[in-house]
Amino acid sequence: MGIRFEKVSHEYASYSKKTYKAIEDITLNIGEKDEFIALVGHTGSGKSTLAKHMNALIFPTSGTVNIFGNDITKKRDKKIKYNDIRKRVGLVFQFPEYQLFEETVEKDIMFGPLNFKIPVDQAKELALKAMRLVGLDETYLNRNPFNLSGGEKKRVSIAGILAIDPDILVLDEPTSGLDPFGKYTLMNLFRDIHKETGKTIIIITHDMDLVYQYFNRAIVLKDGLLTFDGTPDQLFKSDILEQNHLDLPNTIKTLSYLKETYQIDIDIYKKTVKEAIDEVNRVMCNE
Amino acid sequence: MPGKGFFYNLDPRTKIISIVFLMVAIFLLETITQLLIGLGVGILLLLVGRISLLKVVKGLKPIFILLIFTFVFQIALNNGGVVLSTAVMHFNLYSVIGIVLLFVVWRILVRLTKFRMLLLVAFILAVYFNLRYINFQPDFYSFSLTIYEKGVEMSIFVVVRLLIIITLTTVLTLTTKPTDLTQGLESIMHPLKKIGFNSQDFALIISISLRYIPTIFDEAQKIMLAQASRGADFSEGKLKDKLKQIISLLVPMFIIAFMRSEELADAMESRNFVPGQKRTRINVLSFSIVDVYTGLFTLACFVGAILVKVML
Repeated sequence: MGIRFEKVSHEYASYSKKTYKAIEDITLNIGEKDEFIALVGHTGSGKSTLAKHMNALIFPTSGTVNIFGNDITKKRDKKIKYNDIRKRVGLVFQFPEYQLFEETVEKDIMFGPLNFKIPVDQAKELALKAMRLVGLDETYLNRNPFNLSGGEKKRVSIAGILAIDPDILVLDEPTSGLDPFGKYTLMNLFRDIHKETGKTIIIITHDMDLVYQYFNRAIVLKDGLLTFDGTPDQLFKSDILEQNHLDLPNTIKTLSYLKETYQIDIDIYKKTVKEAIDEVNRVMCNE
Repeated sequence: MPGKGFFYNLDPRTKIISIVFLMVAIFLLETITQLLIGLGVGILLLLVGRISLLKVVKGLKPIFILLIFTFVFQIALNNGGVVLSTAVMHFNLYSVIGIVLLFVVWRILVRLTKFRMLLLVAFILAVYFNLRYINFQPDFYSFSLTIYEKGVEMSIFVVVRLLIIITLTTVLTLTTKPTDLTQGLESIMHPLKKIGFNSQDFALIISISLRYIPTIFDEAQKIMLAQASRGADFSEGKLKDKLKQIISLLVPMFIIAFMRSEELADAMESRNFVPGQKRTRINVLSFSIVDVYTGLFTLACFVGAILVKVML
């Protein structure tokens, strides 16, 4: 179960005659539970296209996407209830402007649950719960979403999907445009949701520090092709980073600089800044 | 849209003015023979400009239905001249069932094959013969459809005239960049400044709107996907739900459009754009010898049409 990609390609029609292949021949398995996946790759590598396949927003031009037992192919199948798929796999877009439209934050968050036929009073509760999760208090309930700051809009749009309570959560660059503090709060939130409920969460990101620190699986795309699928540890120990236009996390970069410059025996694979400092302290004490 | 050929090198002003004059000339013509000569000239122009006929025909697609309807109505409504055929149209149980069946067959065929327009023509003809020959009494209603020579003549006349006009305008739009077109319009309308019409502003409005059509279209699609992932699928659900879903599409579209316009205004101002001030151009329009030839050709056509009108 979960989401299974089988030789999935997606071509966009282009203005010139040639079509543009956004993703090509992707075979991928995403478990229903207990996965915390980072989807990385440089801009234009097909990450967003891949994400849109995960809740059947767009259909593959060849291959099959199996989402919770529903085979999504090129043609729209009348037997499949696409809305039910979207209830189970929630996708948050990168720009909140594309989805905010109601006059109050509460109504906007309730839009999703109401579409999925959840009664109004229950939807209200879900909205409040989702708001609290993303760190917005009750004072935001009746505020106009268009008067919020960029970060707050982002939280509202994420809450709009969290309120639907999907089984799998897909987020397209949720941390872009946020300040460092907001970024880590949000990532902690996703990790907590993942740990508490065991839900699979897939996050598109460019931030290698986050990839290294938080995730237990990394999927790398390059020019529409799947070039890596494994743990972040394997990813950053491998030699495929440069050809995929990826960078090392700051901790590894700093520690390996120290290692090379001072020729010391130090473990460069430390995930957080704190761990890195501890490691430096340990080596310093030994010297 | 860079292309080779005669028309691509023409000054947009020449093209616009020539086409206006040629259209007036077309409207001066009165008989089918004259119009067919006009159509010949139009096709000749396409050949000279090395514009593929196929492209023009493809451009005709969206107005093909209009052409068919004008044709049918002109035939049905004009009377005069020699009667070509007259027949009673029967509306009875069987012919109505026949129409329904034909309609179903037509819609199925449209889905399966590519020749939509031919199928439409075939459908109309089939309905005609169905009404004419399925004659089982009692009729709910019947009328006699008489086709006169004048009707056929007029319908061909109108359709050919439309065809020529569309061919001419396709020549213009196919061979001219939108920016050149607006620049040409701006230059032509410049004298209107005396009566308070600012052609520069007008041209700017047009070129900005043209520029943002694909962008807004793109954004509409993204919004649709974003709302679909919140359960607002535009192809499922009841009518009442759909209304709400349309609002969920329109509001973000307006908001984004306003945001974009503000950003654009800032970007323009930060590059020292002052409304109403004289601006220089990267590409300055200039007439060349081909423009003179084109002008002479247009003049010849125009004078020819006037002469034909006066003499005959």
